[in-house]
Amino acid sequence: MAGYALEVRGLHVWLRDKHVVKGVSFRCPEATITAIMGPSGTGKSTLLRALNRLIDLNPDARVEGEVLLRGESIYDMEPYELRRRVAMVFQEPNPFPHMSIYDNVAIGPRLHGLARDRRELDKIVRWALEKAMLWDEVKDRLHDSPMKLSGGQRQRLSLARALALKPEVLLLDEPTANVDPVNAVKIEEAIRDLVREEGVTVVFVTHLPSQAVRVSEYLIFMYDGRIVEHGPSREVALNPRNPLTERFFRGEL
Amino acid sequence: MAESLLERIVGSRVRSRDDRRFVLLHLPAAFILLLAILSMLAVFIAYSTPIIEKEGYRVFTSSLWRAVEGAPAREWYGLAPAILGSIYTSVIAVIIAAPLSVALAVTIEELAPSRLRGVLSVLTDLMAATPTIIYGVWGLAYLAPLMYGVLSWLHTHLGWLPLFREEPTSGYTIATAGVLLSIMSTPYAAAVIREAYSLIPASLREAAYAIGATRFEAVRILLGMIRPSIIAGLALAFARAIGETVAVSLVIGNSLTITASITSPGVTVSSLIASQFGNAEFYHYMTSALFAGGLVIFLIGVAVNAAAILYMRRWEEAMGLGRA
Repeated sequence: MAGYALEVRGLHVWLRDKHVVKGVSFRCPEATITAIMGPSGTGKSTLLRALNRLIDLNPDARVEGEVLLRGESIYDMEPYELRRRVAMVFQEPNPFPHMSIYDNVAIGPRLHGLARDRRELDKIVRWALEKAMLWDEVKDRLHDSPMKLSGGQRQRLSLARALALKPEVLLLDEPTANVDPVNAVKIEEAIRDLVREEGVTVVFVTHLPSQAVRVSEYLIFMYDGRIVEHGPSREVALNPRNPLTERFFRGEL
Repeated sequence: MAESLLERIVGSRVRSRDDRRFVLLHLPAAFILLLAILSMLAVFIAYSTPIIEKEGYRVFTSSLWRAVEGAPAREWYGLAPAILGSIYTSVIAVIIAAPLSVALAVTIEELAPSRLRGVLSVLTDLMAATPTIIYGVWGLAYLAPLMYGVLSWLHTHLGWLPLFREEPTSGYTIATAGVLLSIMSTPYAAAVIREAYSLIPASLREAAYAIGATRFEAVRILLGMIRPSIIAGLALAFARAIGETVAVSLVIGNSLTITASITSPGVTVSSLIASQFGNAEFYHYMTSALFAGGLVIFLIGVAVNAAAILYMRRWEEAMGLGRA
């Protein structure tokens, strides 16, 4: 039996008095991509931030329910170790502007002691940049500032920074929303390869139905803080059971 | 002719008559400010000329201070103790204020719960707004006796260091002035650092925590991003420290000797001007000497600020943000 990398049970999130995520449950099988789609403001990003406890940083947020990473509750873990195992890429490309390209990728392994020496660190950095399909473009200027890269390259650098943590789960919050189409395709491709070759489990939030269907094995449609529909992507795309899902595919929501 | 000069100042791009009036209306403010600074420089140069003509560069390097009434030829003023004292106390102040102001900024912006944040923020602003004479009197009555104890202990146990070699005879020392100045300038540096810290985009804060950084590690990453602002804040603290007069003259002991030991009394240019200017008119060259001292700290202030600006420029260029 294939295990589940991530299991969410009855998850609620309140931001101040606002009930943003309203009892969400789902499971992500190992080495698959689950896309969460839905109109903006339905709690997708908030849900994602509950999965690596990044939401703990918000003093106004309250979370209820269970999240299991390979069967273990994330609330029994050190949040810092959890965030290494469950890495994240954001909507905005956000490399650290004051660090070189190399240091942006190396910082994660350095913080978590993933490399024993410089050679091992070099290897991880190269591996992560290759996996993010950025290596060929930056290998001759690893010590340049990331601010000299294009927006799409910066986003792939953010991806490489996340990958260098050697995560088991990768959370993506609309990673292609702010990059050009060519870079968007590269990022999608990189992510599919990662799942196939490295066995990473991916949760991919997007507001584009076409992208959701294209990249994922499983598809969740969220609306107003709830999961309206969840199933294998092709099935959901061809035969949406809920009229809301159908309307979202038609671009009416 | 007048028209073309006007055009050159206002810029030929300002085509609208309303806009042109608006720009013209605001020009005088900038102009007056520029004039004020230039005239300051001119006055300082003019007034310090007599003593420079008489003593040459030695007015800045000599440590002899001889005020003689009615015999101008026998007067001698050496500013070295005051200039060194100014630099010494200001550097001590910045060295102490650097960790204090960074810690204060981080506490307020990142660590304190929101209610405490408000209280701390108001207190810091209050510290910045407190008149310097209050600091001075507090330093005189409380800090100096406290420092006497601390410095005596340091002299007893670390007396082999040149810094603490002289046995303190009172609490009125260079070290006391440095500590007082660090307390006075911390809120200024902290304000600049806080401002920059609060402007760090939320996406970069999230990035720091999302790679599994602890609070301490995340703060270190974020502080790295605003290093130019930290430098700017400390340059401001230095400027404030080197320009402070009343508070310093109350606690520094006003001794015109050169010493490497911070446990000894000393003097600064600012405190020297404040304490001597009143009776300088009885002597022929003393006013001029005091102006020469003012010129020196004016130039030091310009140099420190220029260095800070240069540093920031280079930083911006390194980050690819430079303006060509």
